[in-house]
Amino acid sequence: MGGLLGILSIAAGVLNADEGAATITSNNIANVNTPGYSREQVNLSSNPPIQVGGLLFGDGVSLDPTTSIRDNLLQQRVDQENQSAGQLGAFLGSLNQVQATFNETSGSGLQTPLTAFFNSLTQLSDNPSDSSLREGVITAGQNLASAFQQDAKGLVSLQSSANVGAQQSVSQINTLTTQIAALNTQISGLIGTGQDGGEFEDQRSQLVNQLSGLIGVSQINAGNGNLTLTTTNGAALVVGGQSFALSTQLNPSTTFHDVYSNGTDITSTITGGTLGGQIQVRDQEIPSILNQVNTLACGLATAVNTQSQAGFDSNGNPGVDFFTAPASVGSAASTISVAISDPNLVAASSDGSVGSNGNAQALANIQNQNVVNGETPANYYGKLIYQIGNDISNANNEQTSVGLVQQQLQDQQGAISGVSLNEEAVNLVRYQSAYQASANVLNVINTLLLDTLSITTVTG
Amino acid sequence: MSIRINPDPAPDLLAAIQLDQQKQSTATQQVSTGRPVNSLSDNPAAAADVVFNHIQGSEDDQCLQNISDLSSQLQTADSALNSVVTAATQAISLGVEGANGNLSAANQQAIATQVTGIRDQILSLANQTYEGNYLFAGTATSTQPFVLNGAQPGGVQYNGNTHVNSIDISAENSININVPGSQIFTNPNGNLIGSLNGLITALQTNTGVGAAVTTLQTAFSQVTTQRVFYGNSLQQLTASQTYLNTDKTQVATQENTLIGVDLASAATNLSQSTTALNAVLSATNQILSTLNLLSYLK
Repeated sequence: MGGLLGILSIAAGVLNADEGAATITSNNIANVNTPGYSREQVNLSSNPPIQVGGLLFGDGVSLDPTTSIRDNLLQQRVDQENQSAGQLGAFLGSLNQVQATFNETSGSGLQTPLTAFFNSLTQLSDNPSDSSLREGVITAGQNLASAFQQDAKGLVSLQSSANVGAQQSVSQINTLTTQIAALNTQISGLIGTGQDGGEFEDQRSQLVNQLSGLIGVSQINAGNGNLTLTTTNGAALVVGGQSFALSTQLNPSTTFHDVYSNGTDITSTITGGTLGGQIQVRDQEIPSILNQVNTLACGLATAVNTQSQAGFDSNGNPGVDFFTAPASVGSAASTISVAISDPNLVAASSDGSVGSNGNAQALANIQNQNVVNGETPANYYGKLIYQIGNDISNANNEQTSVGLVQQQLQDQQGAISGVSLNEEAVNLVRYQSAYQASANVLNVINTLLLDTLSITTVTG
Repeated sequence: MSIRINPDPAPDLLAAIQLDQQKQSTATQQVSTGRPVNSLSDNPAAAADVVFNHIQGSEDDQCLQNISDLSSQLQTADSALNSVVTAATQAISLGVEGANGNLSAANQQAIATQVTGIRDQILSLANQTYEGNYLFAGTATSTQPFVLNGAQPGGVQYNGNTHVNSIDISAENSININVPGSQIFTNPNGNLIGSLNGLITALQTNTGVGAAVTTLQTAFSQVTTQRVFYGNSLQQLTASQTYLNTDKTQVATQENTLIGVDLASAATNLSQSTTALNAVLSATNQILSTLNLLSYLK
């Protein structure tokens, strides 16, 4: 369309385009603090020219679909770091509690009751017929047994908490994968009609990021806006518009819940994310610590019992077990208790006479003997303390480094996708100017049209 | 085109604040507890060493307590033997007097009575107790070790045993803490109580007094030989006490090296982290309150 009316049409198109551009700018400004929002870029394009009398005239401007500015590869890197952060967070959350239980630097842990027990025997050897010292050995033994029991109970309780946490994580994962599958459908629908996934993609990225915090995830761009998600070991989580829920089943042998995907137990293959950390704590770290505490309790109880049987009580009778004999290594710490309550039954004597302290000495010397897996109780326990400290220290360092990488990646992501208020203000002013100019064009054309109409009236 | 930077400084600022707060918290904890290692993960190797350190310190304390208890017991035994030596010396003098041959029968009887008194005194000392336990009964400490019994050789019966107790006086050393009474008072190489009985009989019958005195002298030297054990043990206890006290100081020094704080550097860290935190808070305030272009649009 040429002529004045054509110009009017072009100016009206500009008004529409700039109004739309200002709307997009306004939306960007509105979402300046929205987590995961990627700024939208205004896409203006000139309309195809029209031919009037052998001449080509431009036909104004159109507002094309917007483009969300994002870097999907960078997003995937952020997600990967989130997996590590989630795993380390869950791991440290539990292990810091273990550390508090065994914090020898502040005097908590097994060293104090262990030493007190052996010291009570050393003290008894000073005066083996003293019933209060005999009573002291039983009390120190009870304190030691109680410390073992409490530590074992605390570790099992942490394991149970990790188990409950893992079930909750699976439930959250299923909620997220359902939402992601629904967004896949919406995005592929939009892409199919030539639109940008825009804010739906932002939402999906946010959800995938949350999912990565819960479980290690591999992402595959399946085309048409669909994102396929699997666990790092290949178990499907989301394919197109379909999500595959994980499930948990009680494992009677461990009394904990295993994680299943499509009927397959994938528990041992899960890495990354909170769930990965919870499973690591529940199935590896705490069992390892618990096993060492049990080995210590079992080695100690067995050695003390063997030596007790080699001695005589204050009545001259052969010594009996001091601790209840552990039924198995695996339950030693949780079930250890002092088997005798009569102080006279403490087998301090080595020759059957009440004044003999030989067996009390021998019992006290167990602390210097390799009775726990070929090591002295102190050496064995010292190694456990080192292991706990070292595992936490390594995880702390890793967490710090993951945090720094996350920060850098988020900065890079912000540089690409973040909304800059200055940038939006500049754009707003630009659209305002264009809008004002077009409005002026409308005014001028309106005047010209009125002039033209008045000529027509005069001549008519 | 210029490089686009992240338009949102808030996350970086928050991270910086958290980091400085963490440093400040760590420095505060170090200053308040006096230790740079407050959890196992702060220094796993030092934390493990602290276990051994505490055990060592605790063993030292226990051994010191044992030594303290034991010293009294050994001193009591040594003191009893000292009295035995004095009494036996007196008996020998009386025996020598009795062996003179110039005494009247009445005087001889009087000496015999005196020696009997000395024997009873020595018998009583041989049955000395400490905290209710017989000191010279071997390990049969609840049984009175010596009773007079004419049917037994030397007229004395030993009801104790010949066992010996030993006690740890440091992590590496232990010492024997008793000599069986039979070895001191009724030793086959010199039976003190038996020889006293022999002297009494000799004095009463005025026969073989000289030989009885000689036998008593042999038994006496046996007692003094055995008594040396107690003196030596007491010396060993004193030496061990010195060693343990030195070791305790070393253990404390070592613990300080392992997990003790350098207060000067901890205080400096606290001051530095506080300054850094104030700076980042001030910077955050300035950055976040900076106007943007939209503020200038009218």
